[in-house]
Amino acid sequence: MIIEMNNIEKHFGDLEVLKDISFGVDSGEVVSIIGPSGSGKSTLLRCATFLETIDGGEILYMGKRAAHTDAGGHAVYVHQNELRRFRSYCGLVFQQFNLFPHYSVLKNLTDAPMHVQGRSKEEAEETAMELLGKMGIADRANAYPYQLSGGQQQRVAIARALAMKPEILFFDEPTSALDPELTGEVLKVIRQLADEHMTMVVVTHEMPFAKAVSNRVLFMDGGVIVEQGDPNEVFENPKEERTKQFLRVFER
Amino acid sequence: MTLSTMFTTMSVGMLRSFAVFMLTLLGSLPLGMVVALLKKSRFKVVRALINAYISVIRGTPLMLQLLVWYFGPFYLFGLNIGNWRFPALILGFVVNYAAYFAEIYRGGIESIPVGQYEAAEVLGYTRTQTFMRIILPQVVKRIMPSVTNEVITLVKDTSLAFTLAYQEVFSLAKQISASQTSFMPFLIAGVFYFVANYVVEFVMGRIEKALDYYK
Repeated sequence: MIIEMNNIEKHFGDLEVLKDISFGVDSGEVVSIIGPSGSGKSTLLRCATFLETIDGGEILYMGKRAAHTDAGGHAVYVHQNELRRFRSYCGLVFQQFNLFPHYSVLKNLTDAPMHVQGRSKEEAEETAMELLGKMGIADRANAYPYQLSGGQQQRVAIARALAMKPEILFFDEPTSALDPELTGEVLKVIRQLADEHMTMVVVTHEMPFAKAVSNRVLFMDGGVIVEQGDPNEVFENPKEERTKQFLRVFER
Repeated sequence: MTLSTMFTTMSVGMLRSFAVFMLTLLGSLPLGMVVALLKKSRFKVVRALINAYISVIRGTPLMLQLLVWYFGPFYLFGLNIGNWRFPALILGFVVNYAAYFAEIYRGGIESIPVGQYEAAEVLGYTRTQTFMRIILPQVVKRIMPSVTNEVITLVKDTSLAFTLAYQEVFSLAKQISASQTSFMPFLIAGVFYFVANYVVEFVMGRIEKALDYYK
């Protein structure tokens, strides 16, 4: 298992966002998470990538514990320095890209590998150019983010996450901020990564895409995983009434 | 008094005005950043102290503050400090301008989208790296127009140094004007301030342009 999350609890004030969620991803697996807005999908990703702290439960990466609930019922994390190592296992692609506007495309990809991971400039640039080539935007290496289309920006963001050589890549609705005609190019590179057996978790509203690329689909609603399984099963023969209701909306 | 002697006499004052200007900038630009960061401190006491400091500085005239810096040590604490005039003057200016710069910095820092912090965090940058590499460069770009405004105000505010009988260009202009019954010194002083601010505008414009490579 790359990541294992056990009995995760998370609340914002009185609102319980994640209720006793357990979920794990194996190496090479592509998991899609679907569900209505407010169901806790994004929060789950943010907890997995340490942007949010859990209130209860356990997070393991590569079998090592990053957070757990102590005897007093409080979630405790490993020390800051160690947490940075856990962070390096995972990458996150945001809905809003969040590229660094003052850095060129190339520098967006090389800055963290050089200054966080201590890699040489040559190595970082070589990796970056290779990734940009794979994303089909090698010719935009010296452009600045504002000069790119949304689809190109999101591909840069994916390359930036990959430049850190993570064990697992999380996508938080990667095409939701894009114009419809630009979603295809982003989904295409994610599909390509899936073919290369990159371990990924994708929160998405693109049902045909989720069905086509993932090994497993999770349907979340109200802070719990309502149903999960083989994408064909979940999409063609959903067992739970809530899943059926949700999928019906997308059939039209 | 010929025009050239008038100008020569006043040029000493111009240098003095320039000294106040430069020393104030050198002190208040970095101090303002410290104040802005302390205002976001985890500790409530620190935040309260910083808020009080900014309130008092912005709520009272700079002229009054200069007098307090100069006379305060003696009247409040019975201290007699030798050569205190110039240090008091610079302290007064630096502490005053740092408060204004701090507010500009704070506004700039708060205008950076939270997504920038999150992206940096996920990539493993430390807090210091995030601030120095990701946040600060973007803040600098955003606050340039407000900083230019403040610097231009400072050029003109240096004339307040006369409060502590510091013979900067405007004090000299008044003296010479009175003794020579001439309007000329005021014109010279006016041209001095205008040219100084023209240079400020030009330099700041250049910096803004240099930062124009991204949006």
